[in-house]
Amino acid sequence: MNAAYNQGFLLGALGYAVFERTGEGSFQLLGQSPDWLPAGSLTEAFPFLDVFLPDAEDFWKNPGNRSAQPSDFWTQTGAGGIELHFSATALSGKRRFLVVECVEQRFQQAQSFLQYAHDASLARDKIAKLSLELERATQAKSEFLARMSHEIRTPMNALLGMAELLWETELSGEQREYVRVCRATGDNLLNIVNDILDFSKVEAGQIELEKIAFNLADIVKEALDIAGVRARAKGLAVNSRIEPAVPAYLVGDPGRLRQILLNLLGNATKFTDRGELSVLVEPDPGQPGSDLKSDAALHFAVSDTGVGIPADRLSTIFDSFSQADASITRKFGGTGLGLSISKRLVELMGGTIWAESVPGSGSSIHFTARFSVAEAARAAEADVRKPLEKAHPLLRPQALRILLADDAQENRFLVRGYLKDSACIIDEVENGALALEKFKQQVYDVVLIDGEMPVLDGYSATRAMRAFEQEHAQAPTPILALTAHALREARDRSLEAGCTDHLTKPIRKATLIDAIDRFVPISRAVDRIQVSVESWLKPVVGGYLENRRGDVAKLRAALNGGDYAMIRTLGHQMAGTGGAYGFEPITEIGSTIEESALAGDTDRMRTSIEDLDRYLSSVRVE
Amino acid sequence: MLKKKICMVGEFGVGKTSLVRRFVDSIFSERYLTTVGVKIDRKDVTVGSASVTLMLWDLAGEDELTPLNLSHLRGASGYILVVDGCRASSLKKAVELQQRIAERLGPLPFVLVLNKADLRDLWEVKDTVVSEYGWPTFETSAKAGSGVEEMFLALAASLLSVNAAAEDPIE
Repeated sequence: MNAAYNQGFLLGALGYAVFERTGEGSFQLLGQSPDWLPAGSLTEAFPFLDVFLPDAEDFWKNPGNRSAQPSDFWTQTGAGGIELHFSATALSGKRRFLVVECVEQRFQQAQSFLQYAHDASLARDKIAKLSLELERATQAKSEFLARMSHEIRTPMNALLGMAELLWETELSGEQREYVRVCRATGDNLLNIVNDILDFSKVEAGQIELEKIAFNLADIVKEALDIAGVRARAKGLAVNSRIEPAVPAYLVGDPGRLRQILLNLLGNATKFTDRGELSVLVEPDPGQPGSDLKSDAALHFAVSDTGVGIPADRLSTIFDSFSQADASITRKFGGTGLGLSISKRLVELMGGTIWAESVPGSGSSIHFTARFSVAEAARAAEADVRKPLEKAHPLLRPQALRILLADDAQENRFLVRGYLKDSACIIDEVENGALALEKFKQQVYDVVLIDGEMPVLDGYSATRAMRAFEQEHAQAPTPILALTAHALREARDRSLEAGCTDHLTKPIRKATLIDAIDRFVPISRAVDRIQVSVESWLKPVVGGYLENRRGDVAKLRAALNGGDYAMIRTLGHQMAGTGGAYGFEPITEIGSTIEESALAGDTDRMRTSIEDLDRYLSSVRVE
Repeated sequence: MLKKKICMVGEFGVGKTSLVRRFVDSIFSERYLTTVGVKIDRKDVTVGSASVTLMLWDLAGEDELTPLNLSHLRGASGYILVVDGCRASSLKKAVELQQRIAERLGPLPFVLVLNKADLRDLWEVKDTVVSEYGWPTFETSAKAGSGVEEMFLALAASLLSVNAAAEDPIE
């Protein structure tokens, strides 16, 4: 055997077939044909070369400084149906060669690499898709819960409100007991709705903690004041102790901290029949790094002397829907969500929650949380924010003009009921469009507006009212949104639309009156004005005042229509008659209206007309 | 016998290799094995009265690392744009490839294939969007076998009619 044959045999065994290019499209196999080389011409044997040879020819004609031009891998089925993998290389030197290589190992390496990249990419797509689906599902669930919460709150608003109004009426002892039960169960139901909503928010990661300065002792006291009512009713003593080393003013979410304490105290009250409840706050002994000057890691313990928790349930009581014993739900009530919500809130506060208990002699629920320590300036803010203590807010004895927009007749009836002892004048409308129309005709001291209404919703109506105020350079009217949406976004939506504040239904009488009290500037509201008139005039003053009230509408129409002559005439008439009937202010305002109409001073005309309207709304004849 | 080169193109993992496997060997494998370079298979078919050998060039799916080598389409009579109905991105990729191929090789006959019809409930690709392109479109399932043969034969038939038109110049 000659050397070339041996060489060819060796190359073939190694997986190479070497062809010398003897001319364009003409190739000569060197040595023996390897057993993997198919029969036929080169391109019949390897159809892939149909696309590679033109590139190889280009290379051989113009190799530049390259000595080799490789092809991609290709796969084709060989004898016996076995898949074989190949690659080709054009070589250029003194002679030109085409090397076809049967490449198992290199192909497998390249494939593992690509396979890994593709598998990873497909897995990434799958994860992204799943996460999107999960997000959508969570979103849908949140929307469903928000919607349900809205649907439940709307009738509860009327239900609880009516019970509250009924409570204020003359009732027999038996009736009073019925109403008391009705109110208490209503409160329970509302707590359950709130728990479910809170839980869904926590679950969807929608709760963001506030970072505001607060007085820790105030929060503990508030929680004890609220929870203490029931505890004391059961004959339990209630104590609290805040270690002196604990900073007085912290920065964090006082509302959520109070919620945790209230929940733990509520449970403690539920499961304790005699003895005491106590709250302890101390620096967290597990966090010695906390300096208590800028950063405070605190340990809270809410302890009771109740039935205790069995040892095997201590770790599961913080799971959702898991009360230590299903029978507890029947006996003590509750959704079993409170502890689960508390656990998530504590975690958001950078802490942990756990339970310790000696069955039969009591339990302690411990939690830790981290806060920043409030600087002096922010500590002052915390005190400013503290609401003034009042037993029961009472509406000022003023004749406020209120525009009330709610499509639910029973809710309008409720608000009217809440304000029935005040001198307020309430205009009721059942949609946003009517509210806007009224708002343009009349200056109101406060607008109470529902969010979702037919024709025009409360948000759009509020926006239009704010735009109207701007156009007419009017001072902003307090607009309070009264909605059954309890999510924070709902509040943001109201404020974004221009509402002054957002009250969530069910609305308590005290909450409503307090809000009106807070947002209606005293100067805006005119006290009720008592005027005594001579007895012979009494039969006619009613008609006189009624006609002047009619003039207000005429004046507004004339102002809108630019009919200053009409305004001047009406002003002149009032100036001439008011004093004669005993209403000196009508004469004064009439003169101002007449003068401003003469001067063409629209701003003054508008102010005077509103002054007249307010005076007419407040004046009462003795 | 007449030979026609048909290229399978599309994003990786859309089922190009599985479609060929189903058509040539009537087999489907659940295991995803990515194609490296080009996989060449052949199948003799009869379309009407004509017999033709289809040379099926299954080109590695394009990804971020390996762009499609358009020179592999050299000499092709037509191509199949394969889309995974479950992945909207694969339709986008198919549209982009069609533009690139048309720019490089001129107007070649092709069909659009929406594969994985067995998972139709999970499809992201919407029929209304697909129909906007006005391309000959087939729904296939390499797994269940539905639509696969019809699709290949329809393309083969259209290649032969192109062929016939070329061979019978208008008088």
